[in-house]
Parts: sequence; structure tokens; C-alpha cells
Amino acid sequence: MGDSDFSYVPWIVFTPLLGFLFQALLGKFLIDRLGARGRWFCGFAAVLVVAFPFLLGVAAAFKLAGMAPAMRGTMVTVAPWIDLVGFRAPLEFYVDPLSITMVLVVTGVGSLIHLYATGYMAEDADYPRFFTYMNLFIVAMLILVLAGNLPLLFVGWEGVGLCSYLLIGFWYKDHANAKAANKAFIFNRVGDLGFVLGLFLLFCVLARSAGSVPDGRFLSFDLIRVQLVNAIGANPGYATAIALLLFVGACGKSAQFPLYSWLPDAMAGPTPVSALIHAATMVTAGVFMLNRMYPVFQASPVAGGVIAAIGAFTALFAALIAFGQMDIKKVLAFSTVSQLGFMFVACGAGAYDAGMFHVVTHAFFKALLFLGAGAVIHAMAHNQDLRNYGGLRKYLPITFLTVMAGFLAIAGFPYLAGFASKEEILGSAIGNGAVVVRISGFVALFTAFLTAVYMARLAGLTFFGAERWRELPEPHAHEDQALPALMEDEPDPNRFYYTAAELAEREAHAAHADHHELGPEHKPHEAPLSMSIPLIALAIPSLLAGFILGGERLQNWLYPAGVKPGLLGWDAPPWLPWVSGAAALLGIAYGLRTYMKGLPADQGWDMGKWNPLRRLSADQFHYDAELMAGMSVGGRTVGLALSKGFDPLFVDGTVNATGYTAGALGLMLRKLQSGYVRFYALTMLIGVLAIVGYLLYASKGGASL
Amino acid sequence: MGLLSLITFAPIIGALIIALIPAEHVKAIKGLAMVTAIATLGFSLFIFGQFKPGDFHFQLLESIPWIPSLGIRYQVGVDGISLWMVVMTAVLGVVATGVSLYESKRVKAFMILLLLLETTMLGTFVAVDMILFYTFFEAALLPIALLIWIWGDENRKKAAVRVFIYLFAGSILMLVGMIVLAQRTQLATGHLSFSLIDVQAAVANGKLWAGALSLEVWVFWAFALAFLIKSPAFPFHTWLVDSYTQAPTGAVLLGVLVKTGTYGLIRFCITLFPEALPRAAPAIMGLAVVGILYGGAVAAVQLDIKKLIAFSSLAHVGFIVLGAFSLSYNGLVGAVLGGVNHGFATGALFLLVGLLYLRRRSRGVNEFGGLKAQMPVFAALFLISTLAAVGLPGTNAFVGEFLSLLGTFESGIAHTVGLSVGYAVLAAAGVILAAVYMLILFQKLFYGEPKLPAIRRLRDLRGWEVALALVPTALILWGGIYPATFTGPMQASVNATRMMGMNSANQRPAWGNSAQSLDERLNLYQGAEQVAPAGVHAQGPIAAYNAARPEDGP
Repeated sequence: MGDSDFSYVPWIVFTPLLGFLFQALLGKFLIDRLGARGRWFCGFAAVLVVAFPFLLGVAAAFKLAGMAPAMRGTMVTVAPWIDLVGFRAPLEFYVDPLSITMVLVVTGVGSLIHLYATGYMAEDADYPRFFTYMNLFIVAMLILVLAGNLPLLFVGWEGVGLCSYLLIGFWYKDHANAKAANKAFIFNRVGDLGFVLGLFLLFCVLARSAGSVPDGRFLSFDLIRVQLVNAIGANPGYATAIALLLFVGACGKSAQFPLYSWLPDAMAGPTPVSALIHAATMVTAGVFMLNRMYPVFQASPVAGGVIAAIGAFTALFAALIAFGQMDIKKVLAFSTVSQLGFMFVACGAGAYDAGMFHVVTHAFFKALLFLGAGAVIHAMAHNQDLRNYGGLRKYLPITFLTVMAGFLAIAGFPYLAGFASKEEILGSAIGNGAVVVRISGFVALFTAFLTAVYMARLAGLTFFGAERWRELPEPHAHEDQALPALMEDEPDPNRFYYTAAELAEREAHAAHADHHELGPEHKPHEAPLSMSIPLIALAIPSLLAGFILGGERLQNWLYPAGVKPGLLGWDAPPWLPWVSGAAALLGIAYGLRTYMKGLPADQGWDMGKWNPLRRLSADQFHYDAELMAGMSVGGRTVGLALSKGFDPLFVDGTVNATGYTAGALGLMLRKLQSGYVRFYALTMLIGVLAIVGYLLYASKGGASL
Repeated sequence: MGLLSLITFAPIIGALIIALIPAEHVKAIKGLAMVTAIATLGFSLFIFGQFKPGDFHFQLLESIPWIPSLGIRYQVGVDGISLWMVVMTAVLGVVATGVSLYESKRVKAFMILLLLLETTMLGTFVAVDMILFYTFFEAALLPIALLIWIWGDENRKKAAVRVFIYLFAGSILMLVGMIVLAQRTQLATGHLSFSLIDVQAAVANGKLWAGALSLEVWVFWAFALAFLIKSPAFPFHTWLVDSYTQAPTGAVLLGVLVKTGTYGLIRFCITLFPEALPRAAPAIMGLAVVGILYGGAVAAVQLDIKKLIAFSSLAHVGFIVLGAFSLSYNGLVGAVLGGVNHGFATGALFLLVGLLYLRRRSRGVNEFGGLKAQMPVFAALFLISTLAAVGLPGTNAFVGEFLSLLGTFESGIAHTVGLSVGYAVLAAAGVILAAVYMLILFQKLFYGEPKLPAIRRLRDLRGWEVALALVPTALILWGGIYPATFTGPMQASVNATRMMGMNSANQRPAWGNSAQSLDERLNLYQGAEQVAPAGVHAQGPIAAYNAARPEDGP
């Protein structure tokens, strides 16, 4: 298996990179010059550079499928990156079923979402900037999944975090968006601390045992597989430590408790971003990483138990919170957190392939749900509150049908995608040999029931019942903000400022977007074709993925040798499909029956009338608020105490005291310093000249000696 | 005149010519200063043509007796560690001169002082003779103090005096240390010499410090103190805060000034005091860790942009010091690399903040807002610098900090010189703080609506300003994407430096032994010194590069 077989694989990453450069450098220029045609071209380019790698991925997948299962792992080295004598982490891509599966998901779902975004963002003034970030995200995500070594994976890992940060704060005029973006970045940084420490420990363990790796590629995946067993075999404590540290990183990126709360806030970004980054791809990176590093996790049953428990707790916790949310995107966000918990339950149980299965199916139906929600939001003048919706199935038939497909899939309607993947997760956990994992499995089963109910709540409140926005008061006429008084022209020799004329033209150009507000006269309109095609395209796999990938087909593809289930195996109980299927149907039926009629009185605008439990759930059980308050107040207090107290009093005080004791010196200097700069310059020049002259003299003298 | 002398004195030659131009020809003076800075950078690039990357010795050596009776020479040279320092100084020299084209007050004097400052920095990095090093090291203080005194902001006089006294007092003991070293060299070899090459040769064979452990420790701290003050490490950072805040925009070279401190730590403290080193390393690393956390925590509450950058520098210098004194190969590479990286990153930030300051005459974090809409190109450049300060992969800072932390972690796991992983864990937590303070800064400057109406009138950066800012930002990205450019030439010297400090007598490489090549040493000491008890990399060729001391102290 030479490299040449997969020599085109780097182009999977480079194509969107070219797209990113194109959007960043030329996008604005093209739109300024060509107007609508430029806009169309930018959108087209943005979709193309994501769709093309999908084709390359398909080619790679077929080639892999044609190879002997044991041979399906090829390292394609592109260039050196960290290149030290004892430690090398080149720019290298590892092509195996796992990475190619993720490539297909990222580029497949990604190109559909890009297409959708050409419609959704069509009126945004910052159109090219949006696609700049989106294409960059695809680059980073593809680096993450294709990376051939752990440091390079970390590049993608932080890179997607950066793009997430940029896109959450995409609408930069609002400080709230910026704060959500900061929160996402900082929470991920906390997770990354664990990730990096795990990486360091892994390096030390491998480097200690593997003196025989001559080229220093200790952290490359092809070698980790080989070396790890030797390195860890004697000392499983290391495996637990590494696994738990890496899992901290996964908790950050995949929004697990206690680091989950950035994800709901991340909904401040445009909806295609939520679909792509905060549902389908980036947040599943943690699960992908666990799969990539599964030999480490497999070696530690302790870590497995912790992962399953945290996954189950997060799944339940987030599902409960989803019941109290009124923002359609927040419901979906908490549902994402909850579904990610399911994936971790699978990984904790040792069924890494089941985790990946759910990554794939979840990418389809959650992207679909978000895009559907986007279509609803688009139709409802960017109003996101479920209490204002109702009866929308009449107005948005395509959105309605496709979202229902996604809803049934996530709710676990028998034989649809979500059912198939959840089935494997629950089977591996409930039938597990480890008690903690078994309990986690039952928690997850109960959560599956809750999922059906709260998703039915979302679907019911949106598409059925009365048209509640008709009851809204008439919207206020949008007032143009008066231009603030600008300062009078001052001399501006460096041309730092616009002249009054230029400014007037500039402000006129900044088109005042027509802010249509939701009112009783509002008439929802179905989304344009660019948005409904992706909806339909995603609805199909949401319904069918279970049939295509299930039945151990994905497992045989990802783990042809079978996942060695570690110390404790599992037997899926035979009653499980019946029970979980019944739970889903029951949940769907109960949820729809409750919410199809319209908004229940105890969930209206007056939170005072809410059930106290639902109020708690709406407030995320106070967890996030308390955490954020504690962190910001605590951090500020410490920072200010050091800055205003310790630094001036002690650090500076010591310096000043030293300074006074050396007062004589100071006095002397002060006298010296009162002269003219020309004098100093002259003195210095004379000094320098003297030195140079002396050197010349000395060098002559030296030569003659 | 050799290449290194040409590079070092090119700015002074430019300054001399400027001195001859009448002060009212402002344009000519500015143009000439710019030409000088660019020419210096051009000359510095010629080093790469002659530099042999695999050789750890000082190269391009020039040696002329200066004060023969005292064994003082004019001796300059570069090795893999100083190479990038020289180039970095020359790059930032161009940036500093470029932004100073806005200077309108006493332009002639300003440009002369700026060019003098550049020469002193370049001289510090190329000096091989200790007295020559000291001369340049101290000579830098005068121009920097004057630049702050005359062209600085509201508290400039206090800041200037403080910088001068603080740094001057801090390094006087080092001069004494140098004299001690020279004398011990005379005792050991019979020749009085201040040349680093001669002194280190006597250290390498163990004769210089034979039987004088307490003296060695004293002299070590004399050097370490001078360099820790200049770096600056906690708690010696107050001069930095004052001078960063008060310095004029053109003082981008301040970022280089602090690098003379970290450079000195690596150049002198690690190579010359093998017995004192393991005793002192944990203490110095402790200061570094405190600096990282302290700098981060304090930076997060600053309302003055430049103060924020000053405290962030304290944190970043912490990573450099940490990597250096982890005494692991990866850590030391990270430290040397970190010096270069931080030079470019701070240079870029300083420049961009300066450009903003020139427009609004304000350093207040809360006095901007909305700049992303107003100045998109500026925002993009600032974002890249911000990400470098945060240490994001893809920027140069990541590679340096990653290697520093990795090295610290390795040493902690192996308990080299009594270290523990706690150092690495705490320092790594500092990376979170970097995200906090930098992102808050970025948010306050760029997001939201403009705080003041005048901001809505701001143009984006001008073409040449963008070009100027692209120099350090492009290097930030290059260093993140292809760090091999930077690490390639430095590895031999870093490894030699490490073995000078870590190996036992007679098994240390010596700059003085020009016949010695690193590979020979590898073969020579395989199996002898490489037996690290709990050490990482036990055998194999890698082990030789990761030689650890057999025990925690002599």
C-alpha cells in the first residue's frame, strides 16, 4: 500500500482551503463589482469547494472498500510540521474507514448546509465573510478527522473552535453574541487543557517505551496502534489517566456536563451554523476522537464507566431542560447535548461503532431539524419563540413534511435512523457487564422516551394548533436611528478619517435592512428552492439510514476485526427493541396529543403560572447562571485584588523601597536627565565613535602583532 | 568588516548620516531611517546563506582584540539560538521605523535614537565576548529611556527613570559575575579571557568551577537576576508595565528588549553553571508559573490596552522561561522558538495598538467598540495577532508554547532536577486565561456599536500600514504552519546548550572545540550519560538528544 494510492486525499482539505482564501481575499471585491452576479458566484464557489471533496471522499471510500479489511489504513504524508529530532508530527493524513466516514458526513451534510445558507443568508450584507468562516470551518473539521497524528488532530480541534467562535459572533453588532462566542471558546479551552495534558502524558508513556521509533513520530496514529499496547500493558493506570484527560477535552467540544452550557448559548449564530457546527459535525468531534483513540479507552474500564455515567447524566439533564425551553433553537440545542450524551454512553460501554453510528444518523436528522427550524424562523420574521408559532403546516408544507421526518427519526420511531442507532447504544449499555454502564443504559432508555415527548412538543407547537402570532399586538413602526452628531472637521493630515461627504455616502450605502417584525398581519412564506432542496435531501437518509448502515454494516466497515469489548462484554437483551420502540411510540403519542391542540395554559407567556419544575428546567436548574456568576465574579475579584492591591502595594512597593535606598544614584541620574536630548545624542555619538575608532586602531594593532 | 558587524552597525551608520542632515528635512530623515532599517534586514538575511544548520558552534565569527591586557575582545558570532534573534530584531526594526514615520516631534533625534537602539539589540545577540555583550546590553537602556522620556505619554518621565534605574541596577551584579568567570577561566586555563567560548570550554571540562560550588551558585544568581529582571519574570515586571504603557508607538522594539533577557538566560545561565542549574531550576520555574497565572489574571481586568499587553507579555515570557529551565530538549526548543514567536506576536500587537492610538489618542479598552464594521482589514490583522497571543494552533505561538509545556511535562514525569508535573499543569491552565483576556479585549474593541461618534468616521488602515502590519502577521502564520523553518537551524545549538548544562564534566560539548560535531558526541556518549532512571526515551538515537542527568544534582 503505497502513498500514491491515496495521493489525492490532501485535496479533500486543500479544496475548501482554496475556497476560504477565495472568499476572504476576493469575495467582497466581487460582490462590490458585480452585485447580484458576484453574490451568486460567491455562493456557488462556497458550495462547490465543499461538494468536490465529497466526491473525493466517495472515491476513497470505494477504494477502501475494495481493499482487504486489515489493510485499510494508509498514512499520506504531505509536509513536515513539528519537526524536531526527538519528536515529529508531520502534516499527514490517515485514510481509514473511520476518517473517510467522517469526511463523507462533513462534506455531504456540509455541502447541503452551504447550499441552504446561500438562500438563508442571501440578504446579509456580510455574505462573503460568512462563507469565509464556513469554508474555513470545513477545512479545520477535515483536518480534525483526517489528521494522522494527535497534535495535528488538535490543530483541527482548535481550528473548529475558532470558526465556531467567529460564527457565533457573526452578527457582531450585538455584544450578547460576542459574549456567547467568548463563552464557547473559553469553555472549550477548559476542555482542551485536559486534552493537551492527556496528549503530553500519552507522549511520555509512548516515548518511554518506544525507543525504537526512529523518526520520533510518537503520536502518529498508525504507530500509536502498534506501540500503545506495549506501552500501557504493564501500567493500566496510565490508560485511565490518559483516557480521562482526553475525555475532558471531549466534554468541552461535545458539550457534556459540566462543560455543556456553551452550546445552548452558541445558538446566537446564524441557523446554518447551528446546523453544521453545533449539531452535525463539530460537536461530534469528541465521539470521533474517542473512536480514533479507542485503544486507550478500551484499556481502561474505569474510564469507560465514567464516560458512560457522564454521558447518561448529560442526556437526561439536557432532555429535562429541553422541556422548559421556548426558543425553538434552544430546544434543539439541548436535544443535541442530550443526543451527544447517548453517543458517550455507547463509547463508555465499549461500543465505539454504535457511538459513530449515532454520530452519522444524528448528523442527518439534527441538521435537518435545524435547517427546518431555520426555514420556520425565516418564515416568521426571525422570531424564534414557540409561543408565537402554531398552525404552520398550512403555510410551510415542505418544511412541515421534512421536519416531521426528522422528528420521527430522532424520537426513535421504529426502524427509522434514530431508532436503529439508539438501539445499538442501548443494547451495548443495558446488556453490559459493568453495573455503572448498565444503569447508564437504563437512564438512556428513559431519556429516549423523554426525547420523543419534548420533540413532539416542538413539532406540535410549531405546526399544529391555532395561529398564535395573530394575537400579537401590531408591531411598532421601525424607526431609523438618527445619525449621531459627528465631530467637526479637524485637520487630518494623515487621512485617518472620512470626510463629511465620504461619510454621508458610506452611511447611505449601509443599507437599512428592512426589519419586518412579527405581527397579526404576518403571512408566513415557504423557503426558496435553495433551502428546501437540502431539507428534502436530508429527510431521505433520516428515514433510511438505519436500513442502509444498520445490521452491523457500519460496524464491519469501521471495525472489521470487531471491537474487542475490553474486559466486560455485553449482550443486547432480546426485549429491547420492543420496549424502546414502545417507549418512542408512547412518547410521540403523548407529546402530540398534548401539544397538537395548541399552547397549554401552564406554558404561556406568564412564567409565574408555570409548573415550578418546568420553571427550574427553563433556568437549566440554575446551573449555568450560578456557574457563570461564580466564575466571572470570582475571576474579577482575584484579578482586581492582584491588580489594584498586590501589584501596586507589594511588587511595586518593594521596587520603590529599593529605589529609595539607592536614592543617591537616583539623585545623580535626575540631575543628568535634565539636559537636552541633543546633548545625549551627541555624547552617545562621541562614545560610539570613540569605540569604533578604538576598534579600528586595535584591529590594526592586532594585525601588526 | 564581517557580515555580522555590518548588520550590527548598519543602523548606527544610518544614524550617523542622519545626524548630518539638518533637522528640518524631515522627509529625508524619515526616508533614510526607513532605508537603513530595510537594509539592515536585508543584510541579516544573508546570514542564512553562510549558516550551517547542523553545526552548534558560533559561526561567522569575527574576533579582534579590544583590550588585550584584560582579555577582552571584540568577538561576534551567531549560533542557532541567536540567529533568529538577529533576524527578528531586524524585522521589528523595520516595523518600528515604519510606524515612526508618523512621528512629528523632534524627528531627527527620534530616528537617531531608534537606530541606536536597534544596533544595541543586534549587538547583544551577536556578542560572544561577555564584556561586549554587557556593553550592548546596558547601552540599550539609554536610547530606550530617552525615547520614553521625550516621546512618551503622560507619565513618561517617571517611567523612563524607572526603566533606566531598574534595569541598570539589575545587571550590575552580572558584571561582577563576568569578572569572576574571567578570573576563574584564568585560574583554570592560564589565560585571562572574557570570551564566552573560552569560559565555556573551561566549564565543559569541569575545571572552572572545580571545588567552588557556592561561588558558582552565587554567580549563577547574579546572571539569573539580571536576565529575570529584563525578561521580565514575576515579580520584576513593574518596569515593563510602565514602559509599555508610556512608550511611544515607535518603541515596538521594546518587545525585542525583553527578549535580550530570555536570550541571556539560555545563553549564559544554562551553559555556564551545570552544578548550580539543577538547584536553581525549580525556583525559577516556580517564578515562571506564577508569572503565567499572575500575568493572565491581572491582564484580564486591565482597562488600558497597553497595560493588558504588558501583563500578557509577563505570562508569555513565563512559558519561555519554563521551557528553558525544564532542561528537556523539547522544552528548550520551545523556549528558543517562543522568544522568536513572541517577538513577532507582540510586535504585531504593539504595532496595531499603536496605529489605533495614533488615530484616537486613547488606550482605553472601553473607548472603542464597533471597529469590526469600521475597519475590517484592521480587524482581521488584529484577530491574527490575538490568536497568536491566545496560542491557537496555526499561529507560531502554539508551537512554542506547546513544546515548552511538553518539555515541562516530560521533565515533571521524569522528575528531572526534582520537578513535578504540577508545573506543567498549572502553566497549561494559564492558556485558558490567555483566551479570557485576549477575547475580552477583542470583543470590547471590535464588537458592538461604536462607543463614540468619531469612531464612525474612522477609515480602515492605509495601504502601507497594511503592508507594514503584514510583515509580523505573515511571520506569525508562517511560524504556525511551517515551523520547521525556525526550528531547523536551531536544533544543533539547542541540543548542545542542553548538554552543556546537563552532562557531567568532560562530557559536555564545548564551543571552543571546533573539531567537535554533534554526531560524534552522540556516539561518544551513547550509553554513558543517557541512563536516566525514570527518564523518558531510555534508549535509541533519540535518547542521546534527551540525555538527562543521572541524578538530581552533583
